[in-house]
Amino acid sequence: MAQHQVKFGTGLPVALTTVDKIVNWGRSNSLWVLTYGLACCGIEMMASGASRYDFDRFGTIFRASPRQAEVMVIAGTLTKKHAEFIRRLYDQMAEPKWVISMGSCANTGGMFNTYATVQGADRVIPVDLYLPGCAPRPETLQYAVMMLQKKIRREPANQNKNIPQKRFI
Amino acid sequence: MREYKPKDNVQAKAYYNDRFYVAPQLAKLDPNSDEIFGSDVSKLKANFEILEAYIQKDELVIFINYSKNVEVLKFLRDELNYSFLMEMSAVDFLAKRNGFEIFYEMLSLTKRKRIRVKTFLAKGLAIETVENLFRSANFAEREMFDMFGIQVNNHSFLKRIMMPDDWNGHPLLKTYPLQGDESAQWYEVDKIFGKEAREIIGPEIRDSARVDRYDTERFARLGHEVAKGTDISKSEPNTDNHQFQEKGGVFLVKNLNKSQKILTEQERRDR
Amino acid sequence: MQQANRLRPFFENLAFDREDSQMIINFGPQHPSAHGQLRLILHLDGEQVVKANPDIGYLHRGMEKMAENMIYNEFLPTTDRMDYIASSSNNYGFALAVEKLLGIEEQVPRRAKIIRTMLLELNRIVSHEFWLATHALDVGAMSVFLYAFREREWALDLIEDYCGARLTHSAIRIGGVPLDLPDGWTGHLAGYLDKVERAVREDYEALLDENRIWKMRLENVGIIDQEMARSWGTSGIMLRGSGYHWDLRKEMPYEIYSELDFDIPVTDKCDSYGRYKLYMEEMRQSIKILRQLIPLYHQSEAKLMANVPQYISAPKEQIMTQNYSLMQHFVLVTQGMRPPVGEVYVATESPKGELGFYINSQGEPYPYRLKIRTPSFFHTGILQDLLPGHQLADVVTIIGSTNIVFGEVDR
Repeated sequence: MAQHQVKFGTGLPVALTTVDKIVNWGRSNSLWVLTYGLACCGIEMMASGASRYDFDRFGTIFRASPRQAEVMVIAGTLTKKHAEFIRRLYDQMAEPKWVISMGSCANTGGMFNTYATVQGADRVIPVDLYLPGCAPRPETLQYAVMMLQKKIRREPANQNKNIPQKRFI
Repeated sequence: MREYKPKDNVQAKAYYNDRFYVAPQLAKLDPNSDEIFGSDVSKLKANFEILEAYIQKDELVIFINYSKNVEVLKFLRDELNYSFLMEMSAVDFLAKRNGFEIFYEMLSLTKRKRIRVKTFLAKGLAIETVENLFRSANFAEREMFDMFGIQVNNHSFLKRIMMPDDWNGHPLLKTYPLQGDESAQWYEVDKIFGKEAREIIGPEIRDSARVDRYDTERFARLGHEVAKGTDISKSEPNTDNHQFQEKGGVFLVKNLNKSQKILTEQERRDR
Repeated sequence: MQQANRLRPFFENLAFDREDSQMIINFGPQHPSAHGQLRLILHLDGEQVVKANPDIGYLHRGMEKMAENMIYNEFLPTTDRMDYIASSSNNYGFALAVEKLLGIEEQVPRRAKIIRTMLLELNRIVSHEFWLATHALDVGAMSVFLYAFREREWALDLIEDYCGARLTHSAIRIGGVPLDLPDGWTGHLAGYLDKVERAVREDYEALLDENRIWKMRLENVGIIDQEMARSWGTSGIMLRGSGYHWDLRKEMPYEIYSELDFDIPVTDKCDSYGRYKLYMEEMRQSIKILRQLIPLYHQSEAKLMANVPQYISAPKEQIMTQNYSLMQHFVLVTQGMRPPVGEVYVATESPKGELGFYINSQGEPYPYRLKIRTPSFFHTGILQDLLPGHQLADVVTIIGSTNIVFGEVDR
């Protein structure tokens, strides 16, 4: 897209850009994350929000309410008893929304190949990014958020992701 | 020929068994070899019928009749100072002996000793609750009911605790497979989307090593990203997307210039 | 756009259709202050809790069932995911239970015992710091959260130096430990201990001890009297906070705790503030223990695994050079060890309380039944007796001060 700066002497700089770019710039740099610590990975998610890893630098702030959040980080094991609630919370989040599945348990069920564990959170809600690891380090989560930012910058701003191609997921 | 699998125990079996291997037994010592346990057992025997008593690994094990569990535990708590019920649960012996073994782990702070009270409960019978003696049994008995389906009489709130209320089966029975029966495997799909979604969502992938690299509907391989749904079975492009920023920088975000921005130790101290 | 699914909105969250001032609210299962997936159904009268009903199981992953389908060594990494704040203490509880069952607990080399004790105490510090961070955050003290996480990261660095993992260590094996400490590790440890001791004194206690809000929120809140503590089978700080002088490290010593000099802090205040003071004091005692362990480590002989070829694989060099060791190792890895027939119940003092493993072995490579007695399970149950009578705002404080971890509650 055409993007160039025009300088009129010493006056105000004017940036010409597309709506897509400016909207995506705003979105990608203030990702508010739903605190969704389910198990061990939730601890690493807390650590990435705490002093050393300091997630606020990315504009990533943890919110406790799904209504205020746009990224859901599924941090931990999703059990069958809980699956219903993750769908409810996902439905409550406002568009646009993205999902990061953090850790092996949320990706595929991981080491818990048992009766009680959902074998991959993508059976219940759509997932944008899968983080490997058990548990992934905070750096991995930071990398994932940066990849998500990149993904957001690439998307058209007005897309409604959930106009479904398929009825389920 | 198909391998024979016993139905009454579907847990993992040893891959190879030596016909002549006889498993050693943990030593069972006479209770009188320990002073405290000896006197405890003699007091218990004076009041109740004790089927068996021995010391195994520093711990006294007594067998009682299942109908006497409340009285024995009350006696242990009030007379013998075993005032903590640390744990109780059951062991499934349905296949071998058609019943459960229920154990109560008691702890005495003053004597620094542990007693395991065990009882055999035949299938179909119910056991009396000890919740009125020890509140901790409230949760432990609920868990036992949930995991084994053992009924507990006079329990104040006997509902499932670990599994959801509409769960089928009792997971810790030996007849229950590790990966669940059919209703367990489709539980979340049935509950959220309904049975008609089963075909669309598909069965669970239980093979942990399975990776479908050609599935571009659901996955984008890092460094080989293509548009959703592209057929990549012939070849896939190398998009070299390992960087977390696009080439040429990001709109309105200044790139870090390392040589300018990283302070030396001396500069930092001067600030 | 919301996709079609069968989930209907439910109004169990708030029951408004009551004539009186009573209300039923649903707390969790995904609540930022619930320390995991605790769901509480609270009956309120105004702002006072009348009845509380904890609903757990949202993190039940079937670990006991997994244990029945795994050989003993295979199950050990799974125990990491129970109390994931202090995973080495779970590894240790399981390893000790199996060692007792095999009868090899005396043959664990002294250096392995010292390293194990170091890891256990380091984990205790990590766990208590995490408890302090989250508890203070729940009560509203954000800065304590940041300070406590700073020191926690330093401790995790030390553990990472040793075993390579931050959270799920698997650093203690059946029969010993797999690795010796890296060069210079004890020096780093000593430096860390100085820093954390100063942090406890100058950061946490200075910020919280006399803090008016902290005291108002914690004092006389969540009183567990002696009878309730006994009846609920509490352990750890919940028990010592109610005036019982009981710590398994002292009363039924395992490892080398009998040789070490440390105190067991006890309070009879029975409230959340008393328990907070105990956590601080326990961190000091852990620091004291770790300081004693450093010289002991240097005096010990460099041997890490028990030499019991029947159950434990030989050292790597021996496997690579001697045929018979290789064969034994192959059998142990593919088929697993076969312990004797019998039962053991082994309890250790984890940071949360008494962590016990009951193993029923029928002489097969798989345990016939493995029951994990976790302290948090009963500490969650106590909420139904503890919460009634308190204000709604105190619920979060009380959950915080019980220090429950849901990996442990639900297993």
